[in-house]
Amino acid sequence: MKSTKQQQHERIVERFPHHHETYFRRPDISRRGLLQMAGGLAGSFLFTPTAAVAAPTSKAAGVTPINKAENVIFILLTGAPSHTDTFDFKMVNGVTPASFNPARVNGVMWPTGLLPKMSQQMPNMAIMRSVQSWALVHTLAQVWSQIGRSPAAALGDIAPNIGSIVAIEKGVENSVFPPFLALNAAAGVGSGYLSTEFAPFRVNYGSSGTSTGIPNTTNTLGESRFKTLTDRMQQIDGGLRQSQSEYRDYDQFYSAARRMMYNNTVQSAFSYTSAESAAYGSSSFGNACLVAKKALRANQGTKFVQINFGSWDHHNEIYAEDTLPAMAKQLDAGYAQLLADLKNDGLLDKTLVVMTGEFGRTVGKLSGSSGRDHWKQQSTIFAGAGVKGGRALGETDATGADTVNYGWSEERYVRPEDIEATIYSAMGIDWTTVRYDDPFGRGFEYVPFGGAGLYRPIDELWK
Amino acid sequence: MQRHFAFILITSLLAQAQEPLPQNFSEVDHPECAAFGPKREQQQRSAVDTSNQLTARVASLLAPMTRYAAVSDSPNADPVNLIDTHIFDVLQQKNVTPAQPATDWEFIRRVTLDLTGRLPDSQRVITFVNDADTAKRTKLIDELFAKPEWVDKWTMFYGDLYRNNSTNSQIHRYVPGVVAFNTWIRESLKTNKPYDRMARELITATGTDSYSTGELNWLVGGVVTGGPVQDVWDQQAANTAETFLGLSTANCVLCHNGRGHLDTLSLWGRSALRTDAWGLASFFSRTETLRTSVTPGDPNPYYWHVAQNTTRFRTDYPLNTTTGNRPARVPLATGQTTVSPVYPFAGNGTLKPAAGEDYRAALGRFVTQDFQFARASVNTMWEAMFGIGLVTPSNQFDLARLDPDKPPSDCPPDTPCELQASHPRLLNDLAQYFIDNKYDVRKLQRLMVSSRAYQLSSRYEGEWNPLWARLFARKLVRRLMAEELHDAIASSSLVIPTYNNSLWGPVNWAMKLPEPVATPDGLNGAVARFLNAFLRGNRDEEDRRGDGAISQALNLMNDPFVMTRIRSTTANGLLARNINQTDENLVNILFLNVLSRYPEDTERATALGNLKNGGNRTQEAENLLWSLYNKVDFIFNY
Repeated sequence: MKSTKQQQHERIVERFPHHHETYFRRPDISRRGLLQMAGGLAGSFLFTPTAAVAAPTSKAAGVTPINKAENVIFILLTGAPSHTDTFDFKMVNGVTPASFNPARVNGVMWPTGLLPKMSQQMPNMAIMRSVQSWALVHTLAQVWSQIGRSPAAALGDIAPNIGSIVAIEKGVENSVFPPFLALNAAAGVGSGYLSTEFAPFRVNYGSSGTSTGIPNTTNTLGESRFKTLTDRMQQIDGGLRQSQSEYRDYDQFYSAARRMMYNNTVQSAFSYTSAESAAYGSSSFGNACLVAKKALRANQGTKFVQINFGSWDHHNEIYAEDTLPAMAKQLDAGYAQLLADLKNDGLLDKTLVVMTGEFGRTVGKLSGSSGRDHWKQQSTIFAGAGVKGGRALGETDATGADTVNYGWSEERYVRPEDIEATIYSAMGIDWTTVRYDDPFGRGFEYVPFGGAGLYRPIDELWK
Repeated sequence: MQRHFAFILITSLLAQAQEPLPQNFSEVDHPECAAFGPKREQQQRSAVDTSNQLTARVASLLAPMTRYAAVSDSPNADPVNLIDTHIFDVLQQKNVTPAQPATDWEFIRRVTLDLTGRLPDSQRVITFVNDADTAKRTKLIDELFAKPEWVDKWTMFYGDLYRNNSTNSQIHRYVPGVVAFNTWIRESLKTNKPYDRMARELITATGTDSYSTGELNWLVGGVVTGGPVQDVWDQQAANTAETFLGLSTANCVLCHNGRGHLDTLSLWGRSALRTDAWGLASFFSRTETLRTSVTPGDPNPYYWHVAQNTTRFRTDYPLNTTTGNRPARVPLATGQTTVSPVYPFAGNGTLKPAAGEDYRAALGRFVTQDFQFARASVNTMWEAMFGIGLVTPSNQFDLARLDPDKPPSDCPPDTPCELQASHPRLLNDLAQYFIDNKYDVRKLQRLMVSSRAYQLSSRYEGEWNPLWARLFARKLVRRLMAEELHDAIASSSLVIPTYNNSLWGPVNWAMKLPEPVATPDGLNGAVARFLNAFLRGNRDEEDRRGDGAISQALNLMNDPFVMTRIRSTTANGLLARNINQTDENLVNILFLNVLSRYPEDTERATALGNLKNGGNRTQEAENLLWSLYNKVDFIFNY
């Protein structure tokens, strides 16, 4: 039975378009293209950092962000993990493998056989078990998670990644590291209508045991010759680069690129040894976690790290050795070591780590092809930045199909919009902010209807 | 040998080359220019003030550009065509002065990149500029249409439009499927198959093996998992509407009526009904799109069959779903439990399959006979050639705001009420031209690139108002596509790579890859990384983009793909072959190969000074070549 609040919320949401599942394909336009509709100049000059931060905004009254985080790590488990086999574990007799070995850890039911290392980190983890996605289509729901609103809504197509908002709000001008790192997230959402300065800087790490760092941050001819090269380029191209809008815009990427080159800090943060990699499980996910930790420890301007890890889309043979168990093994090693290392480095207190799939999976018995299909109920794990761990908030029914206890004062499902608000609040960003520099001139709300209180941060995580 | 011939020409042209001549490249506008919905006009108005201030600021920053040599500056010899009639009429009405005509230098680089995705051969640049024939631009255009590179570029273009990839968020086509579809597109373009026939073949495709019948793979892209078969039919219908009619809003209406959802976006959409959209989906209600394992017992890999199955599907589109990816489909208030095929976009409900007619054959007929099909097709092409669609974005047409003879009126509050296209009559005339010319893609493109509008300079004398972009008062520029950059660096450096792949065979050019995610040199290969930095997209949720990124600068400055090609030690490379030329010739050769033009005076003086006084001449030559590959006017088509 849905709570009165949930029913009330549904009625409010009912009045606004696109709150429910709908199949959606992004239009064939570049998002940045939208801001260029008025021609070449608007795109270049309007969105320099100063101009962007200085954009006219409005905020709701009486909002106090939590403001305990300096960084965010956002882990998107793409393909949608089965929540009842992992973060909202339910033993299904005769179905769930006994080897998953469920046990209560800090009072939280947990598959200690499947995710043993994570159970050691339980004191740092708060599991939100009343989360529901709006949609059951991977792309749609993944994009939804990254922009905190319906991709099909009026501003969905031009909406920046949550990380781009963090970058524009908290990024430091001319920092050496890009404010927004996207690791193994080649297909992640970009900066939307914001300048590509705030776009995710994408680096992919394979499962290889060592990495020499970001490709192309040195030149084969050596540092001194490289300086000559760039001097010569300035001599012959300086006029164009300095004088004209799109060219100058493009030159900004050269400046940023040069800050990353021949820089020991960059080199050491983005590379790793096989010993370091082994501690994180020697997987591509583990290596991304490792680099996230190193990049934050370097403290060179990176504020938001997105890591994508998939695929969890286990429609078939979910318990076969190479499906869920194989994925879980990598997740367990990488995530647990990440929390442990952040803690050791004193970074966990100022870093909010959010981990979520785009939705959950069907519960109870398996499907005809021994898998689990798409399902809205899911769980999201929060850690760090003062979040009180060692507990689950909210509760599902015996099967895990639906929420029976919402676990927060709103008394309704937690939605991607609420998770977005939680991230902003933790970072000290007023989630009710509306910027008026969007190409439609109608105002871009950081959290849709945030000012109206329709969605809000999960303050209970800190209580 | 070819190079050698070019030297003679270059030398003979040097004297003329130093004459000051019209500006060639210059002020830049953004290539893709898009917005959707009614707020566009409003936003454009509000953007004017800011933009005007910025324009003034930029204008004050502009250094006076020196001019460099062109042998001739031939005006367009073609008569004003139907495009020009509309474009220049509107400019005149609005009292906007168009930019000057593009120079021959500007034109040959622009049109060669636009039509073939490649830089012009340096020798051809010289012969073209030097040609006194007043019809030389027309001759050049004809020549480009006959090139195999034209087929490569437009195979990539239609591959993007049809979203041909080996994997999307729902299904796999696998590489053999992608290659088969790619081959179908390639052959269709090579043989100049009429575009309406291409569309009909995709809509009506039937066959048992998507690895051998390439055209099946378009309908395969509509497969949606985790729901009833109606979800698949809906998506196939939505893809039909978006791909061939530019109507992406149909997808919304397949879930719910437009009222309350599309009001501010589309006047047509406001009153669109889900039941009507079901009428479109019903054309697929006998279609079975099924996967079959290549190896029985092993689920992956698989191939697809697409067929009419009247045994499995005995009724029209049934209203009997409560789960899946779209809201429930339940019987109508009238008690009606199925929906029969009715084409919803034209014909007022009269366009239904004839008795006994295959549903998809009927749909192929209705789509390609719909004027909107021609209109959407020409608009997509206009967007590719002119940077902004006449309707933009090109997949969000509003059917209620297209007819210039019946402009929308008495619109409900908050609905868009202005004609949607920037040039509604031009759009219609282009569509009619496409129909009259039997949907010949080359003829359509020829009309566009032959127009004076296309052949305007991208530099604008005087103060530029950003709103004039949609008037096409000058040529808008674009960053080269990932594949174009790769191929431009390869061809101009004379170091042509070969990529071997057992699944799609050896290729030399990125534009020949079957899909933008293809990794020519292996999964984590440097070339794949280079291409990805330039945002080639994945034909799924990640669209091809034209903007910049830090990684693009890192790649152009340092990637081995560039670095090996600027070295004098690279065998048979541009420098190895030319290092013994005189300084003047060497500088001209490098400019001509990489930028398809001679240096301006200041560029020439800088380059010559460094060669003479920089210390190590060979290194200075490398420095120059490196600088040219990183020059912003190399990276853009202007």
